[in-house]
Amino acid sequence: MSRKIKKILIANRGEIAVRVMRACRDMGITSVAVFSECDKTAYHVRMADEAFHIGPPPSTESYLVHDKIIDVAKRSGADAIHPGYGFLAENAEFSQRCVDEGIIFIGPTPETIRLLGDKLKARETALKAGLLVTPGAELDPKDDINAALEKADHVGFPVLVKAAAGGGGKGMRIVESPELLQEALETAGREAASAFGDGRVYLEKYLARPRHIEFQILCDRHGNCVHLGERECSIQRRHQKVIEESPSPIMTPELREEMGTAAVRVAKESGYVGAGTIEFLVDEDRTFYFLEVNTRLQVEHPVTEMVTGLDLVKEQIHIARGSKLLLSQSDIHLTGHAIECRIYAEDPQAGFMPSTGTLKNYRLPAGPGVRVDSGVVIFSDIPVYYDPIIAKLITWGQDRTEAISRAQRALEEYRVSGLKTTIGFHRVVLNNKKFIAGDLSTKFLEEEYPNHTYRVLDDKLRQNAAIAVALDTFIRERKIAMDYQHHSDRSISSWASFHKRSNLRTFTGSR
Amino acid sequence: MARYLVNIDGKEFDIELEYRSEKYFAVINGKKVEIASYRLGESRSLLLINDQAHEVDVRSNGYDNRKVVFMKGMEIPAHIEDYNLAQLRKTAGMSFETGVARQLKAAMPGLVIEVKIKPGDKVTKGQPLFVLEAMKMDNIIKAQWEATVKAVHVSGGQSVEKGDKLLEFE
Repeated sequence: MSRKIKKILIANRGEIAVRVMRACRDMGITSVAVFSECDKTAYHVRMADEAFHIGPPPSTESYLVHDKIIDVAKRSGADAIHPGYGFLAENAEFSQRCVDEGIIFIGPTPETIRLLGDKLKARETALKAGLLVTPGAELDPKDDINAALEKADHVGFPVLVKAAAGGGGKGMRIVESPELLQEALETAGREAASAFGDGRVYLEKYLARPRHIEFQILCDRHGNCVHLGERECSIQRRHQKVIEESPSPIMTPELREEMGTAAVRVAKESGYVGAGTIEFLVDEDRTFYFLEVNTRLQVEHPVTEMVTGLDLVKEQIHIARGSKLLLSQSDIHLTGHAIECRIYAEDPQAGFMPSTGTLKNYRLPAGPGVRVDSGVVIFSDIPVYYDPIIAKLITWGQDRTEAISRAQRALEEYRVSGLKTTIGFHRVVLNNKKFIAGDLSTKFLEEEYPNHTYRVLDDKLRQNAAIAVALDTFIRERKIAMDYQHHSDRSISSWASFHKRSNLRTFTGSR
Repeated sequence: MARYLVNIDGKEFDIELEYRSEKYFAVINGKKVEIASYRLGESRSLLLINDQAHEVDVRSNGYDNRKVVFMKGMEIPAHIEDYNLAQLRKTAGMSFETGVARQLKAAMPGLVIEVKIKPGDKVTKGQPLFVLEAMKMDNIIKAQWEATVKAVHVSGGQSVEKGDKLLEFE
């Protein structure tokens, strides 16, 4: 059954909303934006064909309110809702609501979201599909600490206590030794209960230095499913990815074939429809373990787009219309290499603390091999309420070396003032010898930069920055002194007059 | 002509600047540099430092000594002070003139807030001698070594100019 999609409501904000709108425009589809009070003049609102105010800044009162989104969909006459990532993207209840209201949810069915959103059920699904999962053990609610300890011993310390309903590192604890297990079970359970309304936890073997490698899949409603190769996302902080690339530096055609077909088997086993990601942890001996499935378009999807030449949002819409995939596995080839750097309004030196404010200057890089998916423009405010991602820089090269050097060039070309960003951090990491060698693991950042000191300024840059500061002050003082002399015959030093001007007390006698 | 002390990332730069025939001439930690500066609007400018091009954005809160330089995609915190004032602050306000005279002179103009000693006092190293206000800051001038005060030449509330004699030791 094929359904028409002429108008799409984008239930999101920032760069991903803009990204989805671009695909809509390419396809001649009308886009509908929703915005909270503090997003009135946000870039995604300016990009949209239609825009609706949906309430106060907190997302629980705007972007996350099912009724408000559905109401706008109806009022605007939208045929479909694209949830982007985050917010309602992996919310089975919302997806069900769309089905009930006769609106197309661009994503998998509520059943699939529910199945794969439960990490224990997702593991079962992967096992059924013949994949390896990291050794682990389910915990029975009736288990006492001795039973839990026995299971943990069987898995082998260090173990990971994980929330069944978890995500984003919440409800997760690394337990190095048996005496720390009880506390970890309790705290992780509590955290999971409050974050996900589900306090179930389970045990998983903790891999010491794994790589995070994931496969992009596309499945239509007719049982066709393909994978679009892998993305390596090992550069993470607080279990959040910051640099992603495709292909993985360790990938071989054989391993890709093996992991890709495994990913497709999991997708088929779960009745997957749409674009999704099967995540794996890859051990140092290249054994790959199923980690989880993300039932949404991911932040890092552009690296796959750059090496496959596909537009994943267009593919999502195509699938949502009920059409058959236009590609079969043999049509898909990865060309060159792509790297994505997530530009966050954060201070890497301060443990990636969010930095809010107004962009006083904002000029983007361009040129060969450079793509920027930005959610902001000059003078945009970065509110405190949402994810602090402001843009993604994606570069493509014939090979990894070219992709990295283009990323370095583009990062240097950025002109951003008014906020702290992760641009300098990326320049440092992309210059790291181990990174350049492709020697990655999810421990990369904590091993290489244990103190979060990412600002490695060279002497030349320090000196030039010092000159810039001195010159700025000198020019200002000269101007003030000259203005002052205009009004007075008194000969006065520029430094003293500068302080007079700024209403500070001076110390030149006449007190 | 002006002289500054700029601190970038813990590294200090002594910079003298002069404007002559449409150009800026700097001496940075003893090294001569020629600079052309073209304003790009607001706080942004294009600098040609010895003919090397740098687009910079120097931002601060009004007249705050702390600045942020945005350049080459980096955000670099900086601190700037007038060179002489920095010296004053560093040596807790004053510098001792050793040698025959053994006297203390004001290194910068300022206001004597308080005199904490009188002639005949024996002072120990680190003992406060004066409180001198300069640039809205109270600087406590301490004795650098043990000595006996012979004469005090200033009193509280008095303005002093650079080079004024403050105190003599025996």
